Amino acid sequence: MNYSSIFFASGFGLNFNLFETNIINLAVVIFGLYKFLPNFLGSMLERRRSVILSDLKDAEERLDTANLALIEAKKELAAAEKKAKQIRTDCKARAEAIRLETEKRTVEEMARIKQGAASDLNAEAARVSSQLRQEAARLAIEKALGALPKKLDQKAQENFVSQSIKNLGDV
Amino acid sequence: MGLLPFVFPFAELEVGQHLYWQIGNIRLHGQVFMTSWIVIGALLALVVIGTRKMERDPRGVQNLLEFLWDYIRDLARTQIGEKVYRDWMPFIGTLFLFIFVSNWGGALVPWRLIRLPSGELGAPTADINTTVALALLVSLSYFYAGLSNKGLRYFEYYVHPTPIMLPFKIVEDFTKPLSLSFRLFGNILADELVVAVLVFLVPLVLPVPVMFLGLFTSAIQALIFATLAAYYIGEAVEEHH
Repeated sequence: MNYSSIFFASGFGLNFNLFETNIINLAVVIFGLYKFLPNFLGSMLERRRSVILSDLKDAEERLDTANLALIEAKKELAAAEKKAKQIRTDCKARAEAIRLETEKRTVEEMARIKQGAASDLNAEAARVSSQLRQEAARLAIEKALGALPKKLDQKAQENFVSQSIKNLGDV
Repeated sequence: MGLLPFVFPFAELEVGQHLYWQIGNIRLHGQVFMTSWIVIGALLALVVIGTRKMERDPRGVQNLLEFLWDYIRDLARTQIGEKVYRDWMPFIGTLFLFIFVSNWGGALVPWRLIRLPSGELGAPTADINTTVALALLVSLSYFYAGLSNKGLRYFEYYVHPTPIMLPFKIVEDFTKPLSLSFRLFGNILADELVVAVLVFLVPLVLPVPVMFLGLFTSAIQALIFATLAAYYIGEAVEEHH
């Protein structure tokens, strides 16, 4: 067999024959691949990596801006809440004031109405009593006028006139 | 011979020689197992190294693995479809990477430095048993994909446009693994043989472009196998109304 082979007892061995093993051509091919593959594949991988890195950077920047916006929004939210609280307390105070005011006004109004009603009643009572008095006077006069012709004779008239003159004289 | 000043120590050619391992009644092609294990070990080592310390900035092996992942994902997604490609991506990726590394390993690693009692080391995919096993796995996979996704409605596919298609579709189930396995086996064995014969005839320079061509076709074959496997699975899970 060949001098460039090493055999082990099991039949396995190594073969160092340059031509049988095709080692020269393989070396050329592997060298060629080693020369060109990293350029080709490497540029592709590098492109991929740069795309990923720029995507990551973009995402981080967006995260930063989003965080800033979030902080801003939280600040605004706090301010708005404070304002809302302020408005609420103001509202309560105003509602209380309005309630008190209205109550007072209502009470006053009620008093006024009551008073008005009482005075109306008094006026009406006075009016009614004067009217009644007039009516009574009118009826008395009528009755007296009806009764006079029967009761009034010369002597009574003289008595009456002298009595009236006497009354006037007393006054 | 007398005219030549010296005898060229050219390579010998041997085809059909195997290192047999006897297990029971089964005779295994030992050299295929050895190279397969080496390929599997190399792939596992690559994956372990690439994923051991993952960072957000993809560098080196991690970047390469992510690139391969992207590539396989795109392949699986275009062939299988958005809905179920995730289930089959590991299978497609394994097929692609195993076949690719087998082919390139067979073409680039100087296996002949190691002498076996019988046969010689080479690409595992240059042995018909490997490719038939892979092709049968693909057959099982697309049946499983179809049945698990659509149940017995999977068999509607056999009469899909018209029932006339039934015999053709049945024949297809046999030709698919046949063509898959023979295509891969034939291409890789042919590459190895062409290089071996050329080395036998013209030991220097001339085999180099053929070896580059062999690398190219090997890569293409891996891609074709993976793409067709994905396509068959996609065909099985496709909903047609």
